[in-house]
Amino acid sequence: MKKIITLYFLLVFTSLYSQNFSISGTLKDASNGETVIGANVYIKELNKAASTNQYGFYSLSAPKGNYTIQFSYITFKTVEQQIVLDKNININYNFLPNETNLTEVEVNTKASNQNVKNTQMGVIQLDMAEIKKIPAFMGEVDILKTIQLLPGVKNAGDGNTGFYVRGGGPDQNLILLDEAPIYNASHLLGFFSVFNGDAIKNVTLIKGGMPAQYGGRLSSVLDIQMKEGNNQKFEVEGGIGLISSRLTLQGPIVKNKSSFIISARRTYIDVLAKPFIDKSDFKGTSYFFYDLNAKFNYIINDKNRVFLSGYFGRDKFAFTDNESKFKTKIPWGNATACLRWNHIFNNKLFANLSASYTNYDFSFSGLQDDFEATIKSGINDYSLKYDVNYYPNSRHTFKTGVHYTFHIFTPTNVSAKQGETTFDFGKKIQLFSHEAAAYISDDWDISQRIKLNAGLRFSNFTQVGPFNRYIKNFTGKITDTVSYGLNKVVANYNGLEPRLSIRFSLTNSSSIKASYTRNFQYVHLASLSSVSLPTDIWMPCTEVIKPQLANLYVLGYFKNFKQNTFETSVEVYYKTMANQIEFKEGAQPADNVFDNPDNAFTFGKGWAYGAEFFVKKRTGKFTGWIGYTLSWTWRQFTEINYGQKFLAKYDRRHDASFVLTYDATKKWTFGMVFVYGTGNRGTLPNGFFLYQGSLSNDYGLRNSYKFVDYHRLDLNVTYTPNRQAKLQKRKNTLTEQYIKEGKDTTNIQVTKKWAKNFSNSFTLSVFNVYNRYNPYFIYLTRKGDFTAGTLQVGAKQVSLFPILPSFTWNFKF
Amino acid sequence: MKQILVLILSLFFIFSCRKDVILKLPTYQQKLVVEASIETGQPAFVLLSYSVPYFGNFDLSHPEQVYIQDGFVTLTDGTITDTLKKIIFPNIAIPFYIGSKITGIQGKTYTLKITVKNNTYTSVSTILNPTKLDSLYFKGEKDSLGLIWANFTEPFGVGDFYQWFAKRLTKDVFYVLPFNSSFDDKFIDGKSIHFAYNRGDNPYNVQATKDEIHPGDYSWGDTVVVKFCKIGRKEFEFWNTYYQNKSSNGNPFSAPSNIKSTFGNDLEVLGAFVAYSPSFDTLIIKKK
Repeated sequence: MKKIITLYFLLVFTSLYSQNFSISGTLKDASNGETVIGANVYIKELNKAASTNQYGFYSLSAPKGNYTIQFSYITFKTVEQQIVLDKNININYNFLPNETNLTEVEVNTKASNQNVKNTQMGVIQLDMAEIKKIPAFMGEVDILKTIQLLPGVKNAGDGNTGFYVRGGGPDQNLILLDEAPIYNASHLLGFFSVFNGDAIKNVTLIKGGMPAQYGGRLSSVLDIQMKEGNNQKFEVEGGIGLISSRLTLQGPIVKNKSSFIISARRTYIDVLAKPFIDKSDFKGTSYFFYDLNAKFNYIINDKNRVFLSGYFGRDKFAFTDNESKFKTKIPWGNATACLRWNHIFNNKLFANLSASYTNYDFSFSGLQDDFEATIKSGINDYSLKYDVNYYPNSRHTFKTGVHYTFHIFTPTNVSAKQGETTFDFGKKIQLFSHEAAAYISDDWDISQRIKLNAGLRFSNFTQVGPFNRYIKNFTGKITDTVSYGLNKVVANYNGLEPRLSIRFSLTNSSSIKASYTRNFQYVHLASLSSVSLPTDIWMPCTEVIKPQLANLYVLGYFKNFKQNTFETSVEVYYKTMANQIEFKEGAQPADNVFDNPDNAFTFGKGWAYGAEFFVKKRTGKFTGWIGYTLSWTWRQFTEINYGQKFLAKYDRRHDASFVLTYDATKKWTFGMVFVYGTGNRGTLPNGFFLYQGSLSNDYGLRNSYKFVDYHRLDLNVTYTPNRQAKLQKRKNTLTEQYIKEGKDTTNIQVTKKWAKNFSNSFTLSVFNVYNRYNPYFIYLTRKGDFTAGTLQVGAKQVSLFPILPSFTWNFKF
Repeated sequence: MKQILVLILSLFFIFSCRKDVILKLPTYQQKLVVEASIETGQPAFVLLSYSVPYFGNFDLSHPEQVYIQDGFVTLTDGTITDTLKKIIFPNIAIPFYIGSKITGIQGKTYTLKITVKNNTYTSVSTILNPTKLDSLYFKGEKDSLGLIWANFTEPFGVGDFYQWFAKRLTKDVFYVLPFNSSFDDKFIDGKSIHFAYNRGDNPYNVQATKDEIHPGDYSWGDTVVVKFCKIGRKEFEFWNTYYQNKSSNGNPFSAPSNIKSTFGNDLEVLGAFVAYSPSFDTLIIKKK
């Protein structure tokens, strides 16, 4: 092993000192000054490519010479530039929008072969423009719903934004919004995601072969970048939809130097549904959510830039029943803030320092007569991250960094009183912990054919006091209490996480890739119910709860056709997961009294395997993809299901999605989504028994029932009036008229100044076009009298959404 | 917490659609169902039956198809072994197994052995020291109808488990267990509290209970005997999981709950052997 490492460094340093110069810079969108993430920089003569990082920075090295350098990104015009490389040079390029007719897009936009050439596997980058074309539920553009259409990513059915990557649970996805983790990414119990499409620039999903700079979760990374704000001109953008409205303001503070963006969204379901609810049994129910994104950035100079971004969202549910004098309020939501500083040391060295804060809160309060109960849970994270990208030569890209987070978890705290009596729910339990990691990785072009990405991450998790551990005997009586003082170590875990991916090019358009990743996860989400609810509890590692650990092995074949217009891939994977968590049977999350919440859990293992097939058409009038996954997902817990292995509830043998968008003309765009999946698994009563003279259900084995298959078709059409052409026509008519009347034509105004750049679009989307009744849940019915032999049993299936048309008007000026 | 459901349900009200479906459930493995108890001053009492598949035919008008007639049941207190005798209740034709040599004594531990079709299952339970309620009172919510409330000072020390039974004299044949009749002292340890129970459903009397105008309520004129029992942890866990199973009742938002039998073999046996340590209180509900 030592010899290999010595040889490796020898190779790196030999190549470091060869006579190379670098080309580096930042790529931006000329229309608004936003940096472009994942754009391609390509040196034609050397067949070498690099892509921009999440701050739009790139760096490439090449020997002295004359080259043609090409900048490309899917939604922009590809440009070529001739350069003479005899010193380190800096090229900051501003992409121009593709202004040609849509019919000519194919000619102008050249897709890259990065998917074939990269070492990374299972990485999918989605542009917001692409996401916005796909039919959206109730017209709400939703990032999470879109990624659920990708192979290897499964949804949990209607009304759920929780996603499951390669057999992992919904807590195993690291969701980052401008580098701050989001713990609960859904509004309205999972019907909508917390991400407002108008404020988002870019979405990257990494579902396998996770690079070393990411960690803390087992299954995937969903890295979401907010827009920085237009630093060229002031812009207002908004939309009015069926259930919510959005408004975004952005613009320069100092042109080319600093800009801001503020984006807000609020639902009015409460107002719309009130007349229906008031007539129903649910009178007194009200619900709404809102969210706010804000970002500010300042370019200090060519080498330094700072960003300050934040998110705040709240769901508020209330129920009042005047008759029974019962009142309840349930607010929950996320808040994040992140301050970042990009620093370019030189053309080979890029660094970013981030300080972020994340908060997730849930509370429930209920009041009836003199009885009052409150349940609170939440998370507060304070993080610091320092990441460095180093591009020493054309063959290596090093990434290294350190991350640190201080977590405060409040699992579930209950307080209740009845008149003067206060119930004892124990002391407020908070769990304090430090999570730290350091990593290094190298993306290494070993030869034209072979490229390797090797990384190593070391992570540590320490639970510290104040903390009380209650020691109980077998009858459950507390026999002792161990108290830990402030900052005293309660539990400590650490681990090495090797990450390795290798690409072997077969031809210029095809390659074979393989990867192995090992991940530790120090936080767990425990759910009592089979659907995601805000009551699900996040728990950190303690002495009792060990870190989750996953090993993922992936092998894939990648091939592009027709000059990268079509991307195809096949990936097979096998994943093992240790220390998976579930509530013990019969556990109550509020059992904190003289007890540690971690005693309510039981631990087991999981494993998953499958194959994913993906065909994507990237350019042209028709774009879209077909994804198909064949997979198996297993769990086994000693204390659940009598110790027998069982299929996870989101185990899905077949999962397919078909996404198509058609840019018919400049005015008309059509979108279609078809999804098909094997039904979810669930546990249903399988038998009856009589106890105390009353009939009860005997549940079958865990997840032994398979629901019927899920399928659905959604369509949408967007009409974008060509206002500029209309204005031009009006101007021409007026000019002719003025000339006829002999008036001065220089100051003809056809519209108000602010409305000059006004554009709008109308989207009609239809969800569940053929009105398929997909099961949301099944409940069993009983009629008659078992004592008289007239018992009749049956089952009813509840489907959430029938065919739902919706209409959205979007505007921008 | 259940109010969260209100939100979901109100959404269903707006959008959802419901239809009858035919389920193909996995093959069901029949289980032995045991209701066994002993209490201070009483002999052991055991009821044996089989569970049936969900879409099987459950018909108590033919009790011989449900109840086990040929079980062999013994009880031992360490010195004496009592073979329980089968008795058939004349009216409802249900076979019970009842002890004759042993009656429950406070502080003693009993072992129950059941043999059915050559398989033997064993469970152990102890009669603990009883805990008394402070007092009982009636609070009418609809004039003459209401619940029975108890004042209770819970002894100090976590790890006590209780179960509530009540019977209206002259009206109820058996002591009735209201829903969630068992509780522990986790949240109330060493405290003085007041709590209420409704009357619960009369066993084997589904239609009659439904036909009552005010099922579950006590009313003026009732004389109610409350049997408040102390039970052990394992026994409480059975009742706790039993009630969880009852309340989840196929509800998709709750975790499916398997019942923890006190016999240890949950795949084959459903049920419990519980040694009860009762204290009795009588309340005469008078017209105000």
